[in-house]
Amino acid sequence: MGALVSLADVLDRLVERVGRATAWANLALVLVMAANVLLRYVFTTGAVWAQELEWHLMSPIILLGMSYAIQQEGHVRVDFVFAKFPHWLKAVIDALTHALVLAMALIIVWLSLDYVGQSFGNNEGSPDPGGLPMRWLLKAFIPVGFSLLAVQALAGTLRSLISLSLGTPLQSEIAPHAQEEAI
Amino acid sequence: RAEKTFNWKMTNAYGPGSPFYVTGPGSPADFARMVKEMSGGRLNIQQFAAGELIPALEGFDAVSKGTVEMNIGNAYFWAGKTFAAQYFTTVPFGLNFQGMTSWLYHGGGQKLWEDLYAPFNLVPMSVGNTGIQMTGWFRKPITSVDDLKGLKMRIAGLAGKVYAALGVDVKLLPGGEIFPALERGVIDAAEFVGPYQDRRLGLHKAAKYYYTTGWHETENVTELIVNRQAWDSLPADLQAIVRTAASACTIISQSWCEATNAEALDDLVKNQGVKAQPLPDGLVDKLAEVTQQVLSDAAAKDPEVKKIHEAYFKFKATHDGWAGISEAVYQNQLRNRLKFS
Amino acid sequence: MSNEILAILCLLSFFVLLVAGIPVALTLAVTGFFFGYLGFGESLFHLLPARIFGVTGNYTMIAIPLFVFMGMMLEKSRVAEELMDVIGHLSGNLRGGMGVGIIVVGVLMGATTGIVGATVVTLGLLTLPALLRRGYDPKLACGAICASGSLGQIIPPSLVLILLGDILGQSVGTLFAAAMLPGLMLAGIYIVYILAVGWLQPHRAPTVPLEERDALARKELWMKVLKVGLPPIGLIVAVLGSIIGGVAAPTEAASMGALGAILVAAIARRFNAKVLRDTVLATAKTTAGMFFILICSQVFALAFRGLQGEQLVHDLFDLIPGGIDSDIWFMMLIIFLLGFFIEWIEISYIAVPLFLPILQNAGVDLVWIAVLIALNLQSSFLTPPFGWSLFFLRGVAPKSVATTDIYRGVIPFILLQGVSLMLVFLFPKVATWLPKAIGW
Ligand code: NA
Ligand code: NA
Repeated sequence: MGALVSLADVLDRLVERVGRATAWANLALVLVMAANVLLRYVFTTGAVWAQELEWHLMSPIILLGMSYAIQQEGHVRVDFVFAKFPHWLKAVIDALTHALVLAMALIIVWLSLDYVGQSFGNNEGSPDPGGLPMRWLLKAFIPVGFSLLAVQALAGTLRSLISLSLGTPLQSEIAPHAQEEAI
Repeated sequence: RAEKTFNWKMTNAYGPGSPFYVTGPGSPADFARMVKEMSGGRLNIQQFAAGELIPALEGFDAVSKGTVEMNIGNAYFWAGKTFAAQYFTTVPFGLNFQGMTSWLYHGGGQKLWEDLYAPFNLVPMSVGNTGIQMTGWFRKPITSVDDLKGLKMRIAGLAGKVYAALGVDVKLLPGGEIFPALERGVIDAAEFVGPYQDRRLGLHKAAKYYYTTGWHETENVTELIVNRQAWDSLPADLQAIVRTAASACTIISQSWCEATNAEALDDLVKNQGVKAQPLPDGLVDKLAEVTQQVLSDAAAKDPEVKKIHEAYFKFKATHDGWAGISEAVYQNQLRNRLKFS
Repeated sequence: MSNEILAILCLLSFFVLLVAGIPVALTLAVTGFFFGYLGFGESLFHLLPARIFGVTGNYTMIAIPLFVFMGMMLEKSRVAEELMDVIGHLSGNLRGGMGVGIIVVGVLMGATTGIVGATVVTLGLLTLPALLRRGYDPKLACGAICASGSLGQIIPPSLVLILLGDILGQSVGTLFAAAMLPGLMLAGIYIVYILAVGWLQPHRAPTVPLEERDALARKELWMKVLKVGLPPIGLIVAVLGSIIGGVAAPTEAASMGALGAILVAAIARRFNAKVLRDTVLATAKTTAGMFFILICSQVFALAFRGLQGEQLVHDLFDLIPGGIDSDIWFMMLIIFLLGFFIEWIEISYIAVPLFLPILQNAGVDLVWIAVLIALNLQSSFLTPPFGWSLFFLRGVAPKSVATTDIYRGVIPFILLQGVSLMLVFLFPKVATWLPKAIGW
């Protein structure tokens, strides 16, 4: 049991590190886009690759960020009925949630491997001359991001199962304030 | 004997409701209707506009894999996957509609296209053509090469590279933002399609100088790609029906553009205060010079591009001779003689 | 089992699981995968990666992290913390004054962005704590914030109008002009409602107590007005000014807002490493969390398509007796009902192309129709259980605010939207006059 708890902690820490690191891509996006706008306005110059970089940054922001978002803020849910459930039922639904997210993440990883492989096989780049090369790398954020989500969901599943078997709530040490965000 | 019925999906790189690209005479919707009627309902093609099943530019991979059977788009969208695809939509200063259809149907172009797409598991064909497009909308008149320096223009692809070499600041923008950006002067110029489609986008309300006769898109092939296994599974009569409907739509769509552009240009010039004119000769010389360089560089880099490039321009050289004494003389000497209206 | 029955079961299961407390994103994915698999096997799911790539690679969506960054920077640097208090002081005896302030700020922010989430996040962070402290009814406060934050979708520039322009084949400029007056009219209706609440039920929208107002010297108040008013106004000028001044395209303008927020914080001497880190982390969490739902909704939308969900809508339509007016109202009803389940992009793609041929045949003014649809789609942001504004506000609201406060709070505003829809239907000139007058 103790080993499972520390495994969950290790997994959580991985998700947290990646999330905190990629969060800075948001600042990069602000700076790249603002620079593109101002350079064009003041010096009327702009590079196609720099314009493409704007939306390329969205992939890490979204796909590497989503497992971190869920770890820190919990899932968004409708809770007006849920809130009235007895504690054991809430715990069961939580465990089920983590397990289903794990399954969903793995399915999407499996589906997207082919998609990235196609792009890799064609050595796909931007259709625009002067655009960014290696589009397969950009597409690879899909399986990587959902693998990371699987890691986060696995940690959540472990914790839920342990907590169910012990009959007490068990919090992650990474995200001690992580309440399930509810709507 | 009971015959098999095929129910196929056809995705499209253009959004719901787009005339020419999705609906209207000679459009993909018309193509699907023809196929259904000619086959007596044995081949039913359900069309999905961009965003309905997949996003705009995802059709190539989806058809290649066989998840959907057909996709409508333009070959130059796939330049990032195989550069030579450019030649099967349009290249700057290239063939016009008559020349391109001649090359595809009778000059070996179709065979080269099929060979190029074979590794991707795709069967390509022409299913439409816009005919000649327009250079685009400019907020200020362009009198010389110097006017291009520092000009901010929405333009993509090879033409963008040519403009950039002459000092244009190339801006990529999604369709919906062209109008607000041009109207406020975030960009000084924008290229779209032709009078009918451009008027629909409202570009004439944002810029009044309409430079005509698009050097960068002297015709534009709408591409149908079919998954190879799906194609092979069709009996010979259904294959013939698909090819026939596709070539019928190529003609019908192009003539539809011819008719609607004529009406729209007339309206733009007479009623909307648009100044329509060709680019100055000196500027066109310069654009051609850079295009020459850009295309030879691309051909030198890749043997596959070189093969198609050479075949295309070899055909064009011969066709130019004929066009020079047929079309050119018709346009310059004969066309404008009789006065009936 | 026929696909249409599966499509209906898919919608029903979505509703049941959602209400049972399964997370929104998971509900979308699970029902989509399950009923899709029953209907068409795994085949169409191979299109899912392409759809996900379409979400992450969508250029206009870049504005979301940028505007969220702007809002978070304002909040973390606390430069506009007292905004609501100052508005409260300024409105004096006027009950509901702070609520009106929210609508006005929403209109101004709506004029700078076409993205709902960003406005709701900013308003939620800057105004909700202050309103609750002042004793506002949480329902009224939440409803006003969600409704006001959604105004950006009708007041140009607007993503909804750009997409509708594309689908209906109308110039985006014409639609922007056409939506202007209906958008302001809707804001006006909200304001009248809030003032009426303040007048009839004073306890729900209290004023700043007289003694507190008297305690604050006139001069001091105006200093505060300057201090808290300048940053948000400066950002609105930065964003709107860069669009109107021809510096930036609508999506790009969001980066001017984000950069501007950094500058504003720096000028106020509130910018430091900690503020920047907190802003970046909060932006990452809010943005990625929302996009996660959007990605999962791709599974649901793909399944609904694959199960011929649009055929279901089409078949329902055939049941309607003739007459173009009843067709239009039926379309409005369908769009409204779809708003409970799916988000506006999918609604536009499913419902609008379906009705387009009928509208074209009847020769109705598509600009007017676009404005009716845009007004209607706006309610999809507010209708529970699947409403973006509700999710965004929940994400930033204090824990003391109950879910039911947000749910019940938006209901009057949804009804007011129905009123504005009716007005534009009865008086099409509200929409069609301005584009003609300015020649767009
Ligand atoms: Na707006
Ligand atoms: Na809704």
